[in-house]
Amino acid sequence: MSETSILEVRNVTRTFPGVMALDNVSIDFRAGEIHAIIGENGAGKSTMMNVLAGEISPDSGTILVDGREMPITSPRVSQKLGIKVVFQELSLCQNLSVGENVLLGAFAAQPAISYLNRTRSGRMAADMLARLGMYDVQTDTPLAGLTVAKQQLVEIARAISQEVRILILDEPNSALSPRETGRLFDVVRNLKSQGVTIIYVSHHLEEVLVLADRISVMRDGRMITTLENGPGVSLERLVAHMIGRSINASGQYALRSDANAHKGNIAMEVRELSVPSHIRKISFQLWQGEILGVAGLPDSGKDVLADAIFGLLVRSGEIEIGGIRLAPHRPSHAIAAGMSFVPADRRGAGVLLSMNVAENVISSALERFTRAGFLRLGLIRGTAQQYVDKLDARIASLGQKIATLSGGNQQKIILARGLVTGPRVLMLHEPTRGIDVGAKVEIYDILKSLAADGMAILMISSELPEIILHSSRVMVMADKIIMGQLRGSKITEEAIMSLATRSDRERAA
Amino acid sequence: MKSNANTGSASKTLAEPQSADRAKRFRIPLIARLLGAKETGIFLALIIMGLFLAVSTENFLSSTNLLNVGRQISLLGIMAIGMAFVMISGEIDLSVGSTYALGGLGTGMLILMGWWLVPALLMGLVFGAVIGLINGVLSTYGRVPSLIATLGTLSVIRGTALIMTGGQPVTINARNGADPNLLAAFEYLGQGYLFGVIPMQLVFFVAVAALGWLLLSRTAFGFRVFAVGGSAKAARVSGIHVPTVKIWAFVIMGVLSSLAGILSLAFMPSGQAGRTGLGLELDVIAAVVVGGASLTGGVGTILGVVLGVLIIGVLRNGLVLLGISPFTQEVMVGLVIIVAVAIDKWSTKSRSA
Repeated sequence: MSETSILEVRNVTRTFPGVMALDNVSIDFRAGEIHAIIGENGAGKSTMMNVLAGEISPDSGTILVDGREMPITSPRVSQKLGIKVVFQELSLCQNLSVGENVLLGAFAAQPAISYLNRTRSGRMAADMLARLGMYDVQTDTPLAGLTVAKQQLVEIARAISQEVRILILDEPNSALSPRETGRLFDVVRNLKSQGVTIIYVSHHLEEVLVLADRISVMRDGRMITTLENGPGVSLERLVAHMIGRSINASGQYALRSDANAHKGNIAMEVRELSVPSHIRKISFQLWQGEILGVAGLPDSGKDVLADAIFGLLVRSGEIEIGGIRLAPHRPSHAIAAGMSFVPADRRGAGVLLSMNVAENVISSALERFTRAGFLRLGLIRGTAQQYVDKLDARIASLGQKIATLSGGNQQKIILARGLVTGPRVLMLHEPTRGIDVGAKVEIYDILKSLAADGMAILMISSELPEIILHSSRVMVMADKIIMGQLRGSKITEEAIMSLATRSDRERAA
Repeated sequence: MKSNANTGSASKTLAEPQSADRAKRFRIPLIARLLGAKETGIFLALIIMGLFLAVSTENFLSSTNLLNVGRQISLLGIMAIGMAFVMISGEIDLSVGSTYALGGLGTGMLILMGWWLVPALLMGLVFGAVIGLINGVLSTYGRVPSLIATLGTLSVIRGTALIMTGGQPVTINARNGADPNLLAAFEYLGQGYLFGVIPMQLVFFVAVAALGWLLLSRTAFGFRVFAVGGSAKAARVSGIHVPTVKIWAFVIMGVLSSLAGILSLAFMPSGQAGRTGLGLELDVIAAVVVGGASLTGGVGTILGVVLGVLIIGVLRNGLVLLGISPFTQEVMVGLVIIVAVAIDKWSTKSRSA
C-alpha cells in the first residue's frame, strides 16, 4: 500500500442471529479516491456501511482513521470524523422544508441555544441544490411535495453541505434519471478533486466501471477482492466475483419476449386518465399476455401513473378491466376487478414489515382464507408455501418476519401477494429497485412466464435495461403525457431517451 | 465547497431555461399564505365563537370577563406550551396533572416549613425538572413508550404527593405558620395584577408563550425538536442526539407543569394531593391538538397552541355565561375537541390531494 489510507477496516466481524453479516472483513480507503463496493444483496455491503456510520458496532476487529485506531461507537463519532452517509432508504424529515432538510446537519451542529439565521442558511441551501442541478426547487417548499428522486438529491445535498472527508453513497441513484445521475457523477468527481474520499455502493456495474478508481467486491459477508479499475477490469469479471462463478454476459438478462406474442384480448383500457398537475389525458390499451413497459424521466408523470390507475389518487377519466368500469379513488374496486399492484416503495407501501411471510402472502385476499370469520391457518400455510416455492423465495420458514428478508426475497413475497388474488392485470412500479442481479433475473423470468400464461403486465420502471430487455411494447412518458410508443426492434435506449426528453410543445410542432 | 456552483454539463432539455420564471411564479402572495396557514382555521373558529357569545350574552365582551378568561386559561396555557415541545418531538406526557399537584403542594409545604420564597419556588421548579428528566430518560434510554411511561409516573407522582401531604390539604396562611410578608408576595404571583389590570397569571402565560416561541422557532434546539419528531432516523443521521432533545422537551414540560401548579396554589392558597390537577392532562393535550399539533410528532406551532388554549378557555367561559349546566359543559368540551380535530384533518386531506 504505497498511498496513504485515510480509513482502514481491519478484520471486522459482525454476526446477527443466524447470519454472519461481516466475516473478518479488511479494506482500506485512500484519500481522494472513488472506491466502489459491489456485491449482491446480503453480501454485507449495508452492514459494512452501517459500521462506518456508527449505527452498528462490530463484534471484533478495528477501524483506523489516519492510521490511528478509532472505535466508531455512535453516529456522532462517525460524523465528527467527517464521515457522511447517504443511505439508500431516504432519511429525511417530511415535516420540514427542502432547505431545512439540506441544512439538518448544519443546524444539528449549532449550540442548542443559538439563533437560526434562516435567510443566510436559505441561500446556503439554495447553493447546495444548485450544485446538484435543482434550480427549479425553492428551498422553502415542503419536502413532502417532492418526488422520491428529488428527495434523494436533497439527501445528497445535505451530506455535502457540511465538512466532509469521506462520503458514503449507498445506491445513490436508484431513483434518479440518467440526467440526474450524470449530474451526481459530476458532483462526485468534483468532490474527489477536492480530496474527498467517496465510497460508492452500487448495483449498477456499468456505472461503477465508469466512475470508480478502485472496486471492491463482497460476497456472503466476506471481502472477495479489491481491483484497480482499468482496462483489465470488465463487467463479466465483476459479475464473476460477485456471484462466485462465471456466466456469459448475455446471461444477465433473459432474451426479450416475442414482440408479437400478444394478440389476445384487451385486458385493461385506460381512457383520458388525468391527475391535475401530474398526468394529462393518458389513453392506452393493455393486452393479455404482453408486458407493457412505461419509461420516462422522474418528473414525466410516470411515477404517478400507477397510483392513479390503482385509485390511490383523485383522478378523472375512465379505466375498464374486463368490461368493468373502475370506481375512481377506490383501490378495493380495482382489486375486485382483477388488478394487482406492486408499488415502488417496498418498505413503506409494499410489505407489512411487522408480519411474517405467510401473513404477507395472503394479506390481499384475506376473505378467501377465513371461514365464519376465523382464519383457516392450514389453508394459509399451504397457499403461502405454494407461492414461495413457485417464486423460489429463499426463506427460513413461513413464520419468518418479512423485515428480516433481503430486498429480492421481500419483492418476491410482494409479488406472491399480488398473485394470490388471481389477477388479470398485474401492475408493477419499479419491480426490481434495490435488489441484486441474481434476484432481478429471477423476477424477470417469473414475469415472463406469467405473461406467457396470458396475464397482462404493466411495468413502470426507471431502469432502462429492464424496460428495453423485458417489454414487448414500451410507452414513453414526458411532460405529463404519453410522448410515444415503441415496439420490437424499435425499443432502444436512444429512441426512449429522445422521446423522454421531448416536451409537449415540441411534439405539437 | 462553495465554488463551482454549477458543475453540471450543458443540458439538452428544455427544463432549465424556464426555471427562473418558474421560481418567480412559485412566490405565494401574503394573503394566500395567510389563508393557507394551518392556524387560520382555528382562528376563524375562535372569532365565530366570540361573535356568537358577544351577541347571545351580555357580559362576554366586557373587559372584566375577557381578563377573567385570560386568567383562567393561563395555567392551562403554560402547560400547553410545554406539551407542544413534547408532542412535536414525537412523545406525549400524561403525568402533567400530577406534576402540577406535586410541584404546587411541594412548594407550599416548603413555605410552611419556613423556607424563603425564592428558594422554595426554585425548589418547586426543580421538582418539575426532575420529574421531566425521569419521564424523558424512561421514554428514551429506558425504551418504555412515553404513553406508558408517563401513565405510570402519573400514578407514581400523585401517590408521592399523597404520601408527602398525608392526604391532608395544604393551606398557606398565617395561621399555619407562613410569614405574612412572604405570604403577600406569594399571593401576588397568583392573585395580583400588573399595572393594576393584567392578572399576573396571564403575565406568566404571555412570557412563557413568548419564550417558547423564541425557543421553538428561532433556535437550533427548536429546530432539533421538529427534526426528531419528523424522522428520528434522519435526525440521527444528521448528528442530532435524539434522546437529549427529547429529554430536554420533557424537562421543559415538567418545569412548566410545576410552575402552573405553584401559580395555582398562589391563586387559591389551598390544595389537596387527591384533587389538585386531576385530569388536567386531557385539557392540556386537547388544547395542543386543537391548536394543530400532530400526535405523531413533527408538526405544531406556539401560535396554534395559544389559539387552541383560547378556544378551550372561551368555550368553557361561554358555556358558563350561557348558563349551561357543568355536566353538559363536559359533554360540549369533549365534542368540540373531536370536531375541531376532525375538521382540521379533513381540510388537510383535501388540500394535499
